[in-house]
Amino acid sequence: MIGKVEVKPLPKVDLPPLRQVGRPLRRVDALGKAVGSTVYAADFSMPNMLHAKVLRSPVPSGRIVGLNVDRARSIPGVACVLTARDLPGAKLSTDMPGQTGRKERAGSAAPVLARDVVRFQGEPIALVAAEMEEIAEEAIGAIELEMEETPGVFDPEEALKPGAPKVYGDDNVVARWKIRKGDVEKGMAEADLIVENTFRMPFVEHAYLEPEAGVAWVDDQGVINIRVCTQVVEHFRSVAKALGIPQNKVRIRGTMVGGGFGGKEDVTVEIFLALLARETGRPVKLVYTREESFVAQSKRHPFVITHRTGVKRDGRITAAKIDMIADSGAYPYLTPYVLLYATAMATGPYRIENVSVDSVAAATNQPFTSAFRGFGGPQAALAYEQQMDEIAKAVGLDPLTVRRANYLRRGDETATGQRIASEVWLEETVTRAIAGLGEPTPSSKTRKVGRGFASYFQSYGRITWFHDTSRAWVGLELDGTATIRCGVPDIGAGQANSLCQIASELLGVPLERVTVYATDSAVTPLAGTSTATRQLYMSGHAVHKAASAVRKNLLDRAAVHFGVGPDAVDLADGRAFVKGDESRSIGLDELASPCAADGIPLSTLALFTAPFTDGIDPETGQGDIWPDFTFGAQAVEVAVDIETGQVEVLKSVACHDVGRAINPAAVRGQIIGGSHQGLGYALMEEYIVKDGITQTPSLAEYLVPTSCDFPATEAIILESGSGVGPFGAKGIGEPALTPAAPAVANAVADAIGIRIHEVPITPERVLAAMKRGARWRG
Amino acid sequence: MDERTIRLKINGREREVSLPPNVTLLRVLRDLGYVDVKNGCEKGDCGACAVLLDGKLVNSCLVLAWQADGREILTASGLGSIEHPHPIQEAFADTGAVQCGYCTPGMIMATKALLDVNPDPSEEEIREAISGNLCRCTGYAQIVEAVAEAARRIAGGGDSG
Amino acid sequence: MTLPKFELHRPESLDEALDILASSPGAVPIAGGTALIVDMRGRRLSPPVLVDIGLIDRLSGVRIEGGEVVIGAATTIAEIKESDLIAQHSPLLSEACGLFASPSVRNRATIGGNIAYASPAADTAPPLLALDASVELASASGRRTVPIDRFFLGVRRTERRDDELITAIRFPIPAEGTEGRFRKLGLRRADAISVVSAAVSIGPPADGGRRVRIALGAVAPTPIRARRAEEALSAGPIDEGAILAAAEAAASEASPVSDLRGSDWYRREAIRALVRRLLRPVVEGRSDG
Ligand SMILES: Cc1cc2nc3c(=O)[nH]c(=O)nc-3n(C[C@H](O)[C@H](O)[C@H](O)COP(=O)(O)OP(=O)(O)OC[C@H]3O[C@@H](n4cnc5c(N)ncnc54)[C@H](O)[C@@H]3O)c2cc1C
Ligand code: FES
Ligand code: FES
Repeated sequence: MIGKVEVKPLPKVDLPPLRQVGRPLRRVDALGKAVGSTVYAADFSMPNMLHAKVLRSPVPSGRIVGLNVDRARSIPGVACVLTARDLPGAKLSTDMPGQTGRKERAGSAAPVLARDVVRFQGEPIALVAAEMEEIAEEAIGAIELEMEETPGVFDPEEALKPGAPKVYGDDNVVARWKIRKGDVEKGMAEADLIVENTFRMPFVEHAYLEPEAGVAWVDDQGVINIRVCTQVVEHFRSVAKALGIPQNKVRIRGTMVGGGFGGKEDVTVEIFLALLARETGRPVKLVYTREESFVAQSKRHPFVITHRTGVKRDGRITAAKIDMIADSGAYPYLTPYVLLYATAMATGPYRIENVSVDSVAAATNQPFTSAFRGFGGPQAALAYEQQMDEIAKAVGLDPLTVRRANYLRRGDETATGQRIASEVWLEETVTRAIAGLGEPTPSSKTRKVGRGFASYFQSYGRITWFHDTSRAWVGLELDGTATIRCGVPDIGAGQANSLCQIASELLGVPLERVTVYATDSAVTPLAGTSTATRQLYMSGHAVHKAASAVRKNLLDRAAVHFGVGPDAVDLADGRAFVKGDESRSIGLDELASPCAADGIPLSTLALFTAPFTDGIDPETGQGDIWPDFTFGAQAVEVAVDIETGQVEVLKSVACHDVGRAINPAAVRGQIIGGSHQGLGYALMEEYIVKDGITQTPSLAEYLVPTSCDFPATEAIILESGSGVGPFGAKGIGEPALTPAAPAVANAVADAIGIRIHEVPITPERVLAAMKRGARWRG
Repeated sequence: MDERTIRLKINGREREVSLPPNVTLLRVLRDLGYVDVKNGCEKGDCGACAVLLDGKLVNSCLVLAWQADGREILTASGLGSIEHPHPIQEAFADTGAVQCGYCTPGMIMATKALLDVNPDPSEEEIREAISGNLCRCTGYAQIVEAVAEAARRIAGGGDSG
Repeated sequence: MTLPKFELHRPESLDEALDILASSPGAVPIAGGTALIVDMRGRRLSPPVLVDIGLIDRLSGVRIEGGEVVIGAATTIAEIKESDLIAQHSPLLSEACGLFASPSVRNRATIGGNIAYASPAADTAPPLLALDASVELASASGRRTVPIDRFFLGVRRTERRDDELITAIRFPIPAEGTEGRFRKLGLRRADAISVVSAAVSIGPPADGGRRVRIALGAVAPTPIRARRAEEALSAGPIDEGAILAAAEAAASEASPVSDLRGSDWYRREAIRALVRRLLRPVVEGRSDG
C-alpha cells in the first residue's frame, strides 16, 4: 500500500485578481433546466409535422438481396419511404467533423443508407416518414427486407490476418501510426530488467441521458433547417454534401444537448431528417429510442495494448516498446485520430529517450467506434499507469518513486518531440491526490483494502495541423446589458456559461445581464466543435478578444467622460469608474448612449486561431500535435470482497492543474463527473458484442453507475495559470476522466496482490484471478 | 381499440383527453406539452420521466395513461418556474447539480418525493432516494449536496409547494 | 416506441375481473405493469386484452388473519417495505423489498406481479420460500391455495392458470425467536437484478431440531429451496463447520446458467459466500450457536 507522502507547497503563481472569472457563480443555464423550461431537441413540434423511423440491419454482415417497400408505401398515413436507390451515391463524410481548413482522408465516408452490403448490426437501410409515430413503426415492419448473411469478422486481430473477410479496403487497416525516437534496442540493452504486460479494454457506451433527436423543415428560402442535439453545428456542410445541395441551403440550429461525451460529435439524425423534409416538403421529427441510440451510434474503442519496458534498478526507464491494436468497427469515423491520440500519449507523462510505438486500427463487423471523452487517452493511460505499477513491483520500489524518476518536466519533449510549454505539475498533483486519501482503512479477513493512483497527461485543443479557429461576437446593448453570439454547442459542461463569465469579467456587466446566443450554424459566428476540450480554449479566447475590443472602446469613452487617461478607468458591476475613486462612476447604459451617438462600435466580431503546425513525420511520428496538455493525478482506496469479488471504492481524490478555473463549481462538476465515468469504466461498464450482435441493448443490461455506486470524488483544483486558454486556463472536460480507471486498477492489484489485465474489473474477474493466483502459488 | 376520455389533474390543472389504452402516461404528458418530462429509455431504467402520481414517485413510462384517470400528477414544471422557482429547483441551480440538465426534472421530482416524507435526510437516504434516476454528467455528488441544501432551505423558509 | 394494441379493462370488483379473465381468450392481468409494459414495448408479448387489477380494493394491503400474515397481491413493493407488520414478523421480506429495483419502480411493482412473472431472479421469492408462504389463487370457477415451493414450474412458468388471479400471498407468523435475513448480489449497488440472492429463516431450537429454511434466487430455472443445506443445519449445533457444510450443499443444489450477469461458476461461488454470510450473524445473535 502506498505510504505517506510529503506535500510540498506550490510554486508561487501570480494570478491577476479577477471579479467574475474564478467565482463559482450559478450557471446561466441552470435554473431553466431545473424548472424544466429548457427545450431539448425531442421537445420541439411543428404544425403538420411527420414522424420518422429508420429500418436497420438485424445482422452484422450480409448482403441485401431483396428490399421491397411497396407495401410500406401503400399504408395510409405514410408520406415517404426512402432507400439507397432513392439517393444515388449519398455518402456521409465521417472525417474530422467541423473541419474547414484541411482536406479529408480518402475512403473515410460511409453510405447514408446501405445499398447492397451491410457491415454492422444497426446499419441504416431505409427511412420512413408518416403522419404518426405508430404508422411509421408499422411501415418499418411492412418493409420486406431479405438478407443473405455473409461471414463476418469480429475481432481486430482476426481482421488483420490474410484471408479475413473484408470490411474496409483491401486489408481492413483503417489507420496505422508509429513513433520512433532514440534507439529502443540500445535502451533495452542498457536496462537491468524488462517488464512486459498486455492490457485490454472493451467497447464502452456513452449512455448520455438524451437519445439522439431532431426536427427538420424547409423554410421559405428553400433552406433546410435542422433543429438537433449535436456537438457540431458545422455538420451543415456534411448534410449539404450528402444531399448534393449548396452549403448555404442547410442550417443547423443546435439545442441544449442532454449529454454528448463525444457521441454526438458524429452526424446522427441530421441527414435522415434533411432527406425526408426535402422529399415531403413537410416538417419531420426523428427521435431515437434508447435501443436505437445504442446500435446506431459510436462506442469507445476497444484496445489491446502491450508494453515492453526496459528499466534500471533505480526505476529509470531506458526504453519503451509499445504495440496497440484498436477496433474501428465497421466504418472509420474518427478512428485514425483516436488512434493517433492513444499513440502519441502511449508513454504517459514520462521522459523516455528511446521509444517505439506501433499502432493499428482494424475494421470489423462490430459497432463503429469514434470519439468518447478522452479520445484514446483513457485507454493509453490504463496501460501506461498499470505498467508503471508493474515496473515498480518488478524493481522492488514503490510506485511513486518509479514515477518520480521518470516524470516529464516543463520544457521536456514528449515522445513525439513536442516541447511542453506550460507548467507540468505532476509532483504537485500526485502528492495532493495521495495525501487526500488520509488514514488507510483497515482490512478485514474477507475485505482487503488497497490503494492505487495514476498520473496522466491529456491534450486539450484540437490537433494543431487542423488549423483550428473559433469566432465570437460580443456587444453591449444600449441599456448596459451584453450579448454574445457564438456558435458553440453547449453539451452540458457549461460551455456557454464560461463565455458569459469571460465577457462579464471584461465588460463589467453582471453575469445575469449577459445573454448568449449559441449553436446556430446560420446566425451565430462559427465556433467549431464542442469536442477535444477545445471550447474554453478556442471560443473563450474568441470571446475574450471580442469583449476586449468592446472594453477598450468603453474605457476610452469613459476616460473622456471623466477627463482622465484610459488606464485610470475600470469596468465592474455595470459601471465604468475611476480606479481608486469609485464615487466617480457612470452606468454602462449611460455610457452606451454617447458611444452610439459618437459612432463608437459597441460590438465586435473576433476570430481566434490556434497555433498552426504541419503534420507529424509519418515514419518517426515526430512533430507537434496539440496546443498544450493538462496534467493531474487521481488516487483511490478500494475494498475487495475476496469471497464475492466485489470491489467497493471507499475514497477517491483527484487533483488537476486546470491552469485557471473560470468557474470553480463547474470545474468541480467536470472533475467529479468525469471521475465517475472513469470509475464506471474501471469496474462495471462493458458494451458486450457477440458475433457482431449487441448483448447489452438497453440501460437494463448496459449498467451505468447509480447514485449508490461510488463515493464523491474529492476534487482538488490547482491553478498554475500557465495554460494557453483565456486567463491561463487549461482544459478539464476530458482530462477529468483519464486517471480514474487506472487508479482503480492499481488499487485492486494492491488489495489482492494480483493484476487483472482487463477492464471492467467485475466481481467474476476478481474471483477468477484470485483462484488462478492461488493455484500458481500452490 | 376504443378511445376513452380520461381526466388528469396535471400541475393543478384539470385536463381531459381522449385516447386509446396503449398510450403511456409519459406519452400523453409530452403530447399535452409537459415536455419537461423526459424520455430516456421508456422502460423504467433511467428515471428521466419521473413524476409524482398522487404524491408518489413513478416512472411515467411504466404507467398507462388510463391508469392515471382521475388522479393528480405533478411534474417539474408544475413545481416552480423561472420567476418562482421551488427551493429544490433553486438549490439544484445553486450547487452545480445541473450539467446537461436532462436528468434534472426527474431528479427534482425524486427529491420532492423524498423531502415530502423525510425533511431531513442523511446522505445515504438521499443517495437511495435518487438511485433510480441516472445521471451521466455529474457523478451525483453535487446533486446529493443540492438535495441536502434544498432540505435546509425548506426547513428554514417555507415550502411553496 | 409505442405499445402494441390491446383492450384494457379496469374492473372494480374481483368477481368482475375473474369473469373477464374467464371469458376473454388471451386476457392477461396487469398490476404495476413494471414487467408487463416492458415486455410489451419490446414486442415479446402482445396480449389482446389486459385486465387492470389496480382498482380492486380488496387486493391490496397487509393484514393478520388467523395466525397468518396476508399480503394482498396488488400490494406494492414500497408498501411492503414500509409495512410495520412485515418488519415485525418477516424482516427478511422488508429487506428484500428495500433492495428491490428503485424507489419509483417499487411504488408501482406489486408482490403478486413479482411472483406471477416468475423470473428466477424475483427478489420476493426467496424470502417467501423461506417463510413457507402460499399463493392464493382465484378464478370464476373457484379458489385454491398453492404452497409457494410448488408454485414455480420453470422460467416464467407457474401453477397459475390463465383464468386465475393471484389474490394474496400468505404465510404463518414465524415462531417467536425466528431469525431471517436476505441478501442479494447485483452488478451494481442499486437498481440491479440479482445475480444471486438468498434468504434464510431459522427458528428457535425445539425438540427434535429446529426449523431451517434456505432459499436461493437466480441460480436455477425457478427460485429454489436448498433442502440439503437446510438439513445440514436442522439438527446439532450451528457452528462454523455446519455453516460451511450448508454453504457447500447450497452451492451443489443450484443449477445456475451462464448469462450476461454471471457464469454458472461465479454464481456457485457467490452462493457459498452469501449463505455463509447470512448464517453467521443469525448464529452469532443467538445463544445456541
Ligand atoms: C427498472 C426495473 C427494475 C426492476 N428490478 C427488479 C428487482 O430488483 N427485483 C425484482 O424481483 N424484479 C425487478 N423488476 C421486475 C418487476 O418490477 C417485478 O417483477 C415486479 O414485481 C412485477 O410486478 P408488477 O406489479 O409490475 O407486474 P406486472 O408487470 O403488472 O405483471 C407481471 C406479470 O404478472 C402477471 N400478474 C400481475 N399481477 C397478477 C396477479 N395478481 N395475478 C396473476 N397474475 C398477475 C401479469 O399478467 C404479468 O404476466 C424490475 C423491473 C424494472 C422495470
Ligand atoms: S424514460 Fe421512464 S424510466 Fe427511463
Ligand atoms: S446532468 Fe446530464 S444526465 Fe444529469
